Amino acid sequence: MKATALLAWRLLWRDTRYGELSILCFALIIAVSCSTAVNLFSERMQRTMNAQAAEFLAADLVISSSEDISKAWLDEATRLQLKQAKTIEFPSALVENDELLLASVKAVSALYPLRGQLKISDETESEITTTQAPAEGEVWVEKRILPALKLHLGDVLNVGEKALKISKILTYEPDRQGDFYSMSARVMLNERDLAQTHVTQPGSRLHYSFQFSGDEKALKTFHDYVKPKLNASQRIIDIHQNRPEIGEALRRAESYLGLLSILVVLISGVAIAIATRRYSERHFNTVAVLRCLGYKQNQVMTLFVLQFLILGLFTSALGCGIGVVVQQGLFYLLKSFLPATILQPSISSLLLGFLMGITILFGFAVPPLLQMQKVSILRIFQQQLEIVTPSAWLVYGIALSLTSFFIWFYTDNLKMTAIIMGGGLLTLFILRFFLTHFLLYTKRFLPKISLNWRFGVEALLRNPKISTVQILAFSVTLVAMILSYSVRTDLLKDWQLQLPNNSPNHFAINIFPQQFDKISSDFTQQNIHSSGIYPVISGRLIAINDVAVQKIVSKETQGDRAIRRDLSLTWSAQLPEDNQIIEGEWWNKTPVKNQVSIEDKLAQSLGVKLGDKLTFTISNQEVIADVVSIRRLRWDTMKPNFYMIFSPTTLDNYPQTFLTSFFLPKEQKNLLNQLVKTYPNVTVLEVDVVLTQLKTIFTQLTSAINFILYFALFAGLTVLFAVIHASLDQRIYESALMRVLGANRALLRRTHLLEFALLGFLAGLLAVLISQVLLFALYHWALHLTYSPNLPLCVLTPFGSAFLVCLAGFSCVRNVAKKPLTTILKGK
Amino acid sequence: MIETVNLGKTVFSPEGALQILKEVTLKIDKGESLAIVGTSGSGKSTLLGLLAGLDSPSTGSVFLNGQNLTAMDEDGRATMRNQLVGFVFQSFQLIASLTALENVMLPLELAGDKQAKTKASALLERVGLAHRLSHTPIKLSGGEQQRVALARAFVTQPAILFADEPTGNLDSKTGNHVIELLFELNHEHNTTLVLVTHDKDLANRCNRKITLEAGAIL
Repeated sequence: MKATALLAWRLLWRDTRYGELSILCFALIIAVSCSTAVNLFSERMQRTMNAQAAEFLAADLVISSSEDISKAWLDEATRLQLKQAKTIEFPSALVENDELLLASVKAVSALYPLRGQLKISDETESEITTTQAPAEGEVWVEKRILPALKLHLGDVLNVGEKALKISKILTYEPDRQGDFYSMSARVMLNERDLAQTHVTQPGSRLHYSFQFSGDEKALKTFHDYVKPKLNASQRIIDIHQNRPEIGEALRRAESYLGLLSILVVLISGVAIAIATRRYSERHFNTVAVLRCLGYKQNQVMTLFVLQFLILGLFTSALGCGIGVVVQQGLFYLLKSFLPATILQPSISSLLLGFLMGITILFGFAVPPLLQMQKVSILRIFQQQLEIVTPSAWLVYGIALSLTSFFIWFYTDNLKMTAIIMGGGLLTLFILRFFLTHFLLYTKRFLPKISLNWRFGVEALLRNPKISTVQILAFSVTLVAMILSYSVRTDLLKDWQLQLPNNSPNHFAINIFPQQFDKISSDFTQQNIHSSGIYPVISGRLIAINDVAVQKIVSKETQGDRAIRRDLSLTWSAQLPEDNQIIEGEWWNKTPVKNQVSIEDKLAQSLGVKLGDKLTFTISNQEVIADVVSIRRLRWDTMKPNFYMIFSPTTLDNYPQTFLTSFFLPKEQKNLLNQLVKTYPNVTVLEVDVVLTQLKTIFTQLTSAINFILYFALFAGLTVLFAVIHASLDQRIYESALMRVLGANRALLRRTHLLEFALLGFLAGLLAVLISQVLLFALYHWALHLTYSPNLPLCVLTPFGSAFLVCLAGFSCVRNVAKKPLTTILKGK
Repeated sequence: MIETVNLGKTVFSPEGALQILKEVTLKIDKGESLAIVGTSGSGKSTLLGLLAGLDSPSTGSVFLNGQNLTAMDEDGRATMRNQLVGFVFQSFQLIASLTALENVMLPLELAGDKQAKTKASALLERVGLAHRLSHTPIKLSGGEQQRVALARAFVTQPAILFADEPTGNLDSKTGNHVIELLFELNHEHNTTLVLVTHDKDLANRCNRKITLEAGAIL
């Protein structure tokens, strides 16, 4: 065995002078580095989340609520000798030095955090850990707040009506979730200062977190005591339960990255298969000679399998190394969404990448390698002896099983794996069918076109199956790139375009009832056009016709999302602008109490009809209302819109704040600062700031996705290199023959250029067609945007693709027309 | 028609310089047929390559139809080949992806001839392959492939035909048939023929014979 291994090593070393091993290594490195990077990224995220499970809660047990909890519960916790802490979170607009910033304020009690530690720093940037909350009169802020508000440590920051001294920079808080919903900068203050800020009162949207820690038995008793008493808006969370996870969008991005890495693996696999095939064919004579020299069939196979194993070990190790660097790139691109501290990857994840490399290599290389087993010893006498090609079932079976396994591995979802494989295969089959027939159809026109074009097209037609694979490899990559680019840009651009001029660009929330009249007159005085001020009452839909909503609504629907959180409820005598009654009637001048009007899409998702009885829980009390109308409304008008509007007087006895939206031109932006100073409790949301934040999110996500897509592009180019390399001898021979017959080198160069340009152009054209169909479907059915094709992109893509493929392809064949002609005389 | 003056070819390898052809001077008249014979490695194919402008000599010159091939660049020689020269090779050298008709049309198309299809079809008919026009080389027998190669060589009506072991890959019966055809066509087109062969009988059918040994004419 040792002798065979040594021989394998020597043969492999001698083979390095031929191109296909470089292509094989290159394809494998791309596949391994890409999948390792994505594996490492996912694994580090998971490890960080798991290791910090208790820390994520900052306690052993947490009651999450939109209102204060019963004193009896807290007394019970005291009796059970549980340590207690409390945090209250709410958004607030801060104004300092004429700068406005929306912050996420968190008031914490003295013992916060019960588990984990806070990390703070001063201006010297040396980070220290602490378990103490900010002292009274002090505030800790996230670093980005200081430049945004032109402040320094030691300066005073006004939160509502309370002036607080900025004593530290907050760098880490255990229960802060790294997700899109905590994009706003953090301000942390002591709970005892909260009242003096005057930014909250009953009805304000607050998020309370009551935290407990202590003996496990006592915690269990407390859990059992509280659980049956929770209302619909309260949740109890312990470290064994669903803990706050990373944001949904990030989770989806992670799956998407996983799927893209499979795309890279697949395309690289095609390159590996082509390169191995060429490798095998080149070694048929070697095999015949080896067998003539007394090597048995299985010894020959061992020799070649060992060569591939050595190759796989080296290349996978290198790919893993590159993967480590690449995943750092992913973390860098997504850094704003992720927790500040990410755990290091485990060795098992690297091993997985390594094993993946060997699996990919053998998965795609086995069928061509098996051909070697079929080489007849008689080939030593007759070189043209046909080789039995491996069964198509074997070739495609291995590739399909491997791909299905990878998809299942990344999605952890059998149904989705089946859908992706089924849909993908069907699409590829249809595309391949049409493309191959299109290429064959063009053959008819060959005699009618010029010699250059004819030879270029003929080169593509020489092996329509291989050309189709190449075109598809590039197309699929380009489609993914076009989709990622278009959705990012169009989503924001189209949304902005669809907004009429002077539509509201600011929302003001948390307006207290006593400020209602004054703020309305202020708006009139300043000539600010508001789109009506509406009361807002937090409440949760719990039953439809006395049946609990959880039993009615299916998962992951709009209705499901609506019943899992508090809804902003309102009442109104008039039908709001842009709302249209499609069923039932709006209440008349003498409305009846306990009636409700519901938005049509939500009604459809919940299965609610006119006359149905809806039960809500508002401030621990049940409110029942009959559905008397169903409304259609436009969500993109930037005006306050509500799923549920109650008839006047229904909600009179519940705490409420007010909400409005208004248009403020850029030159009047300073009025915002005045507004926030006059009404410190009012939170102003600037639509353009939100849009900028969305843009940042999209840009970062798509950058991460594009980062992986570049690997797909390189994999596509490797397929091109593999195909060209496999046909290089043929190309050299044919171009030499053409030169013997009188063709000059310029004609041969033009022929090659045209062949590659055509290949790239067709791939680009196909990519444009597929992506535009997908975009139309996506916009029309999923995003509800008007589809308008991006013409420059549609035109540029085929030409850009032609240019890229031309450049890459021509670089491989540039020397073909320079080979000495006498080689041809010596016989092929 | 063809003239060489002190033609020599030297190649360099790690073992040192190797002189393959030494000061070959010869003259071939229009319509003449010349056989180049010699043992393997004597320099026959190298001489043929230099005469046809497929390779550049290390010393000396080659004149085709009065024009100095050695003074031309590769593209110039390509044009000259297209206008003056036809080739027949031992291993046929047909393009596998093209049909018999397309293979024969190719030199005409390279010369920009609008009648390529008609001329190619006529010549294929002349070599007895009218029924094989749309067949690719893999579907043709060795003898048929060489007949396609003959048709391709004569279709441009070249002044000179170079043939390198034209029967080397054929059995004697098929080989004889191909040679008959070659000489018939040569006669019909009054072509100057330069032929490399091991076959003494074939060499004897030519007007003249030269023997090469260690790169020099004996």
